[in-house]
Amino acid sequence: MQLKPGREVSSAALRQRLMAASCALLSATGVRAQASDASPPFNGLLENLSVDSAVAYYHEDGRIQAVEPIVNVAKTFANGDALDVNFTFDSLSGSSPNGALPSHSAQTFASPSGKVGHSYTTAPGQLPVDPNYEDDRVALSANWTTPVTRVTDVTVGAKVSGEDDFFSVTLSASLAHDFNDKNTTVSGGLYNEFDSLKPIGGAPAPGSDYALADKTGNRTKDGVGILLGVTQVMTRNWLSEFNLSVDRFHGYLNDPYKFTSILDASGATTGYQYESRPDQRLRKSAYWENRVAWDSLSTALSLRYMSDDWSVHSETAQLRVRWNLPGGQSYIEPTIRWYRQTAADFYMPWIVETEKLNSPYESSDSRLDAFHALTYGVKYAHKLGPLGPLASSEFNVRVEYYQQKYQNPSTNLADLQGLDLYPELKAVLVQFGWRY
Amino acid sequence: MTDIRHSLTESLRLEVRSEGLLAVCFDAMASPCEVLLPAQHRSDAIEIGSVVANEAWRVERKYSRYRKDSVVSVIHRSRGSRIVVDDETASLIDFAQHCFDISNGMFDITSGVLRAVWHFDQSDRLPEPSDIQRLLPLIGFQKLHWRRPVLMLPSDMELDFGGCGKEYAVDRAYGLLATRYAEPFLINFGGDLRANQAPPSDTWKIGIERPDTIREASMVLELEQGALATSGDSHRYLMRNGTRFGHILNPLTGWPVPAAPRSVTVAASSCTEAGLLSTLALLKGAEAEQFLGDSGVRYWVNR
Repeated sequence: MQLKPGREVSSAALRQRLMAASCALLSATGVRAQASDASPPFNGLLENLSVDSAVAYYHEDGRIQAVEPIVNVAKTFANGDALDVNFTFDSLSGSSPNGALPSHSAQTFASPSGKVGHSYTTAPGQLPVDPNYEDDRVALSANWTTPVTRVTDVTVGAKVSGEDDFFSVTLSASLAHDFNDKNTTVSGGLYNEFDSLKPIGGAPAPGSDYALADKTGNRTKDGVGILLGVTQVMTRNWLSEFNLSVDRFHGYLNDPYKFTSILDASGATTGYQYESRPDQRLRKSAYWENRVAWDSLSTALSLRYMSDDWSVHSETAQLRVRWNLPGGQSYIEPTIRWYRQTAADFYMPWIVETEKLNSPYESSDSRLDAFHALTYGVKYAHKLGPLGPLASSEFNVRVEYYQQKYQNPSTNLADLQGLDLYPELKAVLVQFGWRY
Repeated sequence: MTDIRHSLTESLRLEVRSEGLLAVCFDAMASPCEVLLPAQHRSDAIEIGSVVANEAWRVERKYSRYRKDSVVSVIHRSRGSRIVVDDETASLIDFAQHCFDISNGMFDITSGVLRAVWHFDQSDRLPEPSDIQRLLPLIGFQKLHWRRPVLMLPSDMELDFGGCGKEYAVDRAYGLLATRYAEPFLINFGGDLRANQAPPSDTWKIGIERPDTIREASMVLELEQGALATSGDSHRYLMRNGTRFGHILNPLTGWPVPAAPRSVTVAASSCTEAGLLSTLALLKGAEAEQFLGDSGVRYWVNR
């Protein structure tokens, strides 16, 4: 931007840049030609306010279902500051796997509260799930961005999230700097998360026997993370973004409601013990996204790689294609996402009581198992015209289908034969949204 | 706005031109404006004229320095504080910033303050150099705070989209019309023009005003499609001791560019681009032809 005496642009290069600038001007202002006529150039409170709201319904085949309203409100102020507030409410209910294996005989479990009479029984051959799982989560986050120079923004944010048995606060700060004619943005940020767990009935001692119910009140964990990113405008219609992040969590990292079946040498269940995870986890991840726009099509291809010191490595690839329908008021957006992860080194679907564990840690949580998943989705959005009470607002509906398959070797244990030890997970998400 | 709409049909005039052409004429941006179309499409004329005239008037209303309700006036009234501008204005400011950058500060939408001292009335009354010096600190796009969509105009500075507004209006009107009308047409706002395709009579013939006469075409250009823009005004100059001071001002010195052509016409794919190239050529003074030649555009220079 600054004048640089002596920097002469050749006429031909100048003309190229002028052509590009003219095209940018004429295409940027091409839409809603007459709409700006109807509204004054500056409005009051509603100007530069955007609202994005949605209600999502999530259903796992035979397990959890969730209803989740989300509201996001963003406002840019006249001094350049921007506020972004996000509110989410989750209501989960249904059945959640408790970590135990299916068995050829019925299994009875006490509810986490440990109260007499609060128990459930899993039929032979079924995956043990706690049928009374119910949780409501409220999360509120706010980010405040303020420009400190013409090319530098600072953002500070806070997020609080609460459930009956869990409370979390995250504080974050980041800095974004534009250069190279605002074609390059480099950003860096830090965040700090503090979690407090108040499991129903207390937090079990890691690795303790289920029957002993050795539970000790409330526990905490906390995490600190760093994020570095570069966003680069490659051409007029190609944007590339690359992020690296590292975070480290410390504290009680167990799921207090998960335990692992203990089997005898033949594979029959003889008891259970609570999971025991390391009290530290270091995660590194890299993310690369490319967005390319053509006339009526735009695509976003993203790749993510994550690796942690529990030996979980995961890869995600996602392709989103937005097709703007003729007329410019609607679009269809198909999405496909592929995900694969390896198992944590202490993941074990069961413990054989006669075999010595070679690690102090164990967990049968299927989220730490090796699996791959495919998600197919499609979104349809329709934008209303510039007139009327809901002028220029967009309605959208999104449907996604998720399918997850585990990859585990077969077992020779006699009593486990004929059982579906790793049932496939299928889920459907339907979301209705309105944005202004 | 309402009164303009009501008087729309009265503001449009139909004129029959030679070679089977029809013109819908109106006034906007202090210039005679017209849309040309083959005479056999007479039934479309008023509708087409309305689309084009409404857009010209809209851009004029929004960016005129002389209207209290224009965006420019709102920006001027908000000097010293940050305001959020609408998308279209933001895109224009972005464009102006690009032009400022690539011209090394010669094209500058903040240079309008020089109007206070320069009056190109063909007299010999040059401003005092001290008055010009006093204004120079108020010029320079880099002194604006501009972070789309937030703008802060420092006290006493001015914005003026006059350097690209008319050409922009031509392109806007062209864009609106081209999406809904497939027959040949040419939009001409005071010599800045753009055509979608050649008329049945072969080419559009455009008269370019000769430096020392008014409305008497000295040069006829033929155009099939694309845009032409002309910068320069042969009637706005000062003359002292045999030296002619043209009205093209160098924003870095505050003085007229020496040896600037009287007018430059450039052909390009959009009127905005053509207009900027012709303006930049004028700012090059004696090197205008060389600049245009190196750019690889079609051009016509009047000296």
